[in-house]
Amino acid sequence: MVDRVPFKEGIFSADAGNGILLGNKCASCGRIYFPPTDFCLDCFGKAMEEAVLSRCGKLYSYTRCHMPAGRFQPPFFVGLVDMPEGVRVFAPLKTVAGRPFQIGMDMEVKIAELWRENDKQVIGYVFKPVK
Amino acid sequence: MFLNPLNNEEGRILMREVAVIGVGQSVFGKFPGRSAASLGGEAVAAALKDCGMHPKDIQVAYAARAYDANCTAQAVLKEVGITALEMVNVENACAGGATAFREVWKEIACGRYDTGIAIGVESMTTSPIAGKLIPPEKDDLDGYLGMTMPAMFGMVARRQMEEHGATAEDFAMVSVKNHQHGCLNPQAQYRKEFTVEEILNSRLISDPITLLMCCPNTDGAAAAILCSMDVARKYTARPVKVIASTLLTGDYKYLQKDICASPVGVKVAQMAYEMAGCEPKDIDLVEMHDAFANEEILRYEDLALCAPGAGLQLLRSGATKIGGRIPVNPSGGLLSLGHPLSASGVRTVCEVVLHLRGQAGARQTPNARVGLAQMLGGLVTGLEHGVTASIHILAR
Repeated sequence: MVDRVPFKEGIFSADAGNGILLGNKCASCGRIYFPPTDFCLDCFGKAMEEAVLSRCGKLYSYTRCHMPAGRFQPPFFVGLVDMPEGVRVFAPLKTVAGRPFQIGMDMEVKIAELWRENDKQVIGYVFKPVK
Repeated sequence: MFLNPLNNEEGRILMREVAVIGVGQSVFGKFPGRSAASLGGEAVAAALKDCGMHPKDIQVAYAARAYDANCTAQAVLKEVGITALEMVNVENACAGGATAFREVWKEIACGRYDTGIAIGVESMTTSPIAGKLIPPEKDDLDGYLGMTMPAMFGMVARRQMEEHGATAEDFAMVSVKNHQHGCLNPQAQYRKEFTVEEILNSRLISDPITLLMCCPNTDGAAAAILCSMDVARKYTARPVKVIASTLLTGDYKYLQKDICASPVGVKVAQMAYEMAGCEPKDIDLVEMHDAFANEEILRYEDLALCAPGAGLQLLRSGATKIGGRIPVNPSGGLLSLGHPLSASGVRTVCEVVLHLRGQAGARQTPNARVGLAQMLGGLVTGLEHGVTASIHILAR
């Protein structure tokens, strides 16, 4: 079994039954943030509660990248997904046969391998079209 | 040499009028064998020669550089015999050069110094990002996930197509226009015309953005010499005045509902028009950040060169070509000149100065009286993209 390590700690859950993207919410004004913030950037409230984002959102925009970026080798897709909580998330996109990307389509968050590093599987969140 | 700021009775600083009297640019291109100091020195020497100022008469210097920066102003200025004065180095992504220019303007406007030089320099071919796409800052969350400048503008382009009815041909038209302009500029990196088809058929970088819709990575430098009006009159009978200088950082990304809009770009333009006491219709030419062809269309609206939502119409009308109602990027823009990041914000001001003096050769805007230089840049997770914006308006 290959070791799985998150690309970043504390912002997503690899084996959550309830959700994957771990945001937080201002207890005073209710604004939701992803990634989580230390305090409310809007009202400066200090009390923040956990807020797990929905699994599905709508594709706001996308692009197919044809040059390497970070650890990604082309071609690969990235996009912005609008979540029902009012948060826009940037993430790699995975293709589904017969479901070409279209602005406004329903997308679902998944955990996937982003790249390999020293025999470890580096995992993170990606979105793919809802079947 | 150091002067105390001029105060009014309430203790507020009185701002003096400031002129730009010398402008200079190095060659732009790929020069891995040349240092930033050598490129910067070339630009500074050209600016000194342009106004006939002795190197020892410069009183303060600001230099901008984004990559591998370490005492850039000092290294550049020692090449031309300028030492032993206040020198400051700044970084502000693509707006770095504009920031250096504004800092020198402030120093002179508030009366601390009478003369100063702003330098922007970048050696992209020897930088850590040589041959790569420009990523956000190291350890930036979105950067880990594949975010780059072209990816961002690819996503913006998709929204322009979805919401505004833009086509890939429109984006290509911006590049056609700016490359036509660049053919008239002896200092452009690429003096070559391209057809819409050639641009659309060039290699895809970030769908629908193709290679020829992206500015090239470039080495180069630009410099501008500023001074008080009293000093300016000793050098020239026709000084170009800085009538507005604005710089602003954008807000959190969650406040930017539409990625095609640039709230900071709109605000910094409103501030500039107010400061200059003029309206968009008074502007005779614009030099702006066209790092990606589709971006120029959006910036027309930020600068209020047309009604909101009418950017595409303005492009298609031909009004932003040389000879049109409001030429945009008559220099050839970043698309044909190339984009040494920190140099571009000084270079755009230099171009406006040449037009206001009537010295822009074949690309001259006829009878130009007022010109605007805009810069926008920076990609930080959580903040609106193009996070720093600056505008200078100059007039003769």
